[in-house]
Amino acid sequence: MKLTLMGNEAIAYGLLHSNTKMLSGYPGTPSSEILTTFQKLTKDLPVYAQWATNEKVGFEVAYAGAIAGVNAAATMKQVGLNVASDALMSASFIGNLGSFVLIVADDPGFNSSQTEQDSREFARFARIPVLDPTTPQEAYDFTKLASKISELFETPVMLRSVMRVSHSREIVEIEDNFEFKEGEGEFKRDIKRWAAVPRAGRLSQAYEQLQRLEKIKEYNYKELIAPKIKELKNTENLIISSGTAYGYVKEVLQELDLNIDLLKIDMPYPLPSNLNELVKNYKKVLVIEETYPVIEEEIRSENVYGKMSNHVHSVDEMNKERVVEALLKIGFYEGENIYKPVFSVSNPKTRKPNLCPGCPHRDIYFAIKKVFRPKKSIYPSDIGCYTLGINLEGIDTVLCMGASVSMAHGFSIADKNKTVIATIGDSTFFHSGTAPLINAVYQKAKFILVILDNSTTAMTGRQTTPQRETKGEVDLKKVAEGCGAEVMEYFYKPDINETINFFKEVKKRYENTKGPLVVVSRQYCVLDKERAKEFIPGIFATVDEEKCVACDVCTTQYVCPPMHYNEKGKIEIDPLLCVGCSVCISGICPTDAFIPKDEK
Amino acid sequence: MKYQIVIAGFGGQGVVFLVKVLSVCASKKGYKFLGTENHGMSQRGGSVSSHIKIGDFYNPLIDYAQADLLIGLDKDEAVLNLPYLKKGGDIVVNADEFEDIDANVFAIDANKLAQNGVFDAKGLNVFMLGIALARVKNFPFSIDEVKEAIGEINPKFAPANFEILQKALEYGKN
Repeated sequence: MKLTLMGNEAIAYGLLHSNTKMLSGYPGTPSSEILTTFQKLTKDLPVYAQWATNEKVGFEVAYAGAIAGVNAAATMKQVGLNVASDALMSASFIGNLGSFVLIVADDPGFNSSQTEQDSREFARFARIPVLDPTTPQEAYDFTKLASKISELFETPVMLRSVMRVSHSREIVEIEDNFEFKEGEGEFKRDIKRWAAVPRAGRLSQAYEQLQRLEKIKEYNYKELIAPKIKELKNTENLIISSGTAYGYVKEVLQELDLNIDLLKIDMPYPLPSNLNELVKNYKKVLVIEETYPVIEEEIRSENVYGKMSNHVHSVDEMNKERVVEALLKIGFYEGENIYKPVFSVSNPKTRKPNLCPGCPHRDIYFAIKKVFRPKKSIYPSDIGCYTLGINLEGIDTVLCMGASVSMAHGFSIADKNKTVIATIGDSTFFHSGTAPLINAVYQKAKFILVILDNSTTAMTGRQTTPQRETKGEVDLKKVAEGCGAEVMEYFYKPDINETINFFKEVKKRYENTKGPLVVVSRQYCVLDKERAKEFIPGIFATVDEEKCVACDVCTTQYVCPPMHYNEKGKIEIDPLLCVGCSVCISGICPTDAFIPKDEK
Repeated sequence: MKYQIVIAGFGGQGVVFLVKVLSVCASKKGYKFLGTENHGMSQRGGSVSSHIKIGDFYNPLIDYAQADLLIGLDKDEAVLNLPYLKKGGDIVVNADEFEDIDANVFAIDANKLAQNGVFDAKGLNVFMLGIALARVKNFPFSIDEVKEAIGEINPKFAPANFEILQKALEYGKN
């Protein structure tokens, strides 16, 4: 059967067609659609498919399933694997009975991530096999293959996707007449294996791990590499590539009509020694891969070139212009780089990512800055939509999930002359905010933590959260109080004076606290169709041009997308973008130039 | 057959809908294709562009100087995406006027037409697709093929979209 699928949807079909019965993970671009698609596909099947509070939790829930003999998988983005890595490093020693596929989506080019780390490195570090698909079709095929290899060798297998696979679309041929095999897992006690302890237990598993890797290398050669070597024409030089990079290289060779052997590696780790033998048959071997030099390091020898020899670029996303640059540098091609732009852009007007019109985060940052002035404050923040509060200069630091809380603690010790006021989203707080909050409470750190509670994981497409799913049984206020913190609650109103007045109360209370003061701001996401209606009054704004003095307060301190200067040098509101939240009318403008539209 | 299209706009303009229409057109004709979207961290109002490569390709990203056609739903976004266009390629752009470059440029002020009530502003994406159908010689799909795809993806709004398409064909001829 042929379907037009996005890479992530293809992976979900691959999981279904591998009889996957348990799937968990945490949302993160570009991986999020895998679990949501799998939930839709398995709606009527006895399958567990749920978002976890974080990647480590999701990994462990699913991994236990694989120990109990069912096929299981976990999904996350590359930085999510950092969180789940503790579990991964040990799971690779212990292994599994049902298959365990670890799906990680990388983001070469930092499109929506803090790092462009290559998860294949993590597979190598953990000593587990990794498959590196080029297209959505391969994403489907390799998901099934990963499950098969995982079951065969009783090891976790990584499927490493990247943004250009996860978020690309093509026609994918999937299995016809697939029948889901029902049946439950059965945990079989094997204390020596499942609870192997240092030193003897883990030492023997380490030897087993090495033996297993040798067998997987053989499999990699026989099943995946050898058939491709047969197709090679023994040209003078060779290019070795994998994943998305292979797609770019293949297109370049076709479009420039170059006759150079190109070997595609499906499983970049572990690589068999036969590959080192093959390399000897060529004068020069160029490795082109995305993002880190994984294959290149594995087959390192005098005639192997790539990132480590500075022939291939080391940072940022691959493109054909860069592939040709590498070919020119090494001398595989002499001629024009046809992938250089013909038309250049002078004076580009770029649109910065911005908080949506009507987003309450904007009001919170505006109010925080009014009450806690920048010169006397430090604003640590976290990972989510609200990171865009950076446009209002309401954010000083961004590190990783949950770090706003622990860094607020650290700043409160290091710089006692400033008030530390940190911001974190509800989902990020559940993900990794509680451990640092408990730490701060018991060590009596003095700072303010504002939890921006829109009851959804907004940035990645509004996935559900524990609080929303349990209708308040798991509640941010109760959790923060349970951690021992003092808590103040704000029920958001689309009136900036209300929000500012609330933060003035926060300031008063803070003066008398001895530990961290938590603010839970109950608000909403404008894109959340279920809840947004109750919050947005639908009063649209316009500008009284006589009052507008072009002072820039709205464009630099409030930064709402519909607001811009018109030809007369006055602020204007784009009616197509305005959602009618009316906050600007309530008092953003020092000269009260924003007025309701129907009063004009 | 190889044909590469860049669609440029910003969040909310319906760039992704056009990619879906073109991919359905391609799959119905039995053409291979690969498509991808670029939108970084923007939710609403940020730059969005989509690449669709029809034919025997292995990577969804269009490279500089390779696109046969650039559809610009917004003037600034079209300018930003100019490096992808090949020499002598086609541009249809929503703008009152556009840079004089070595390409077949067709600029039409669709915003103004929408404001004057020629079509509903929400259908800007379909209107510009209609302009491409009317103006671009090698456009890989026929009007009927595009209509069929639109009907399949969103049957509810298909009649309204067909109307917009028809208006675009008229305006595109002049």
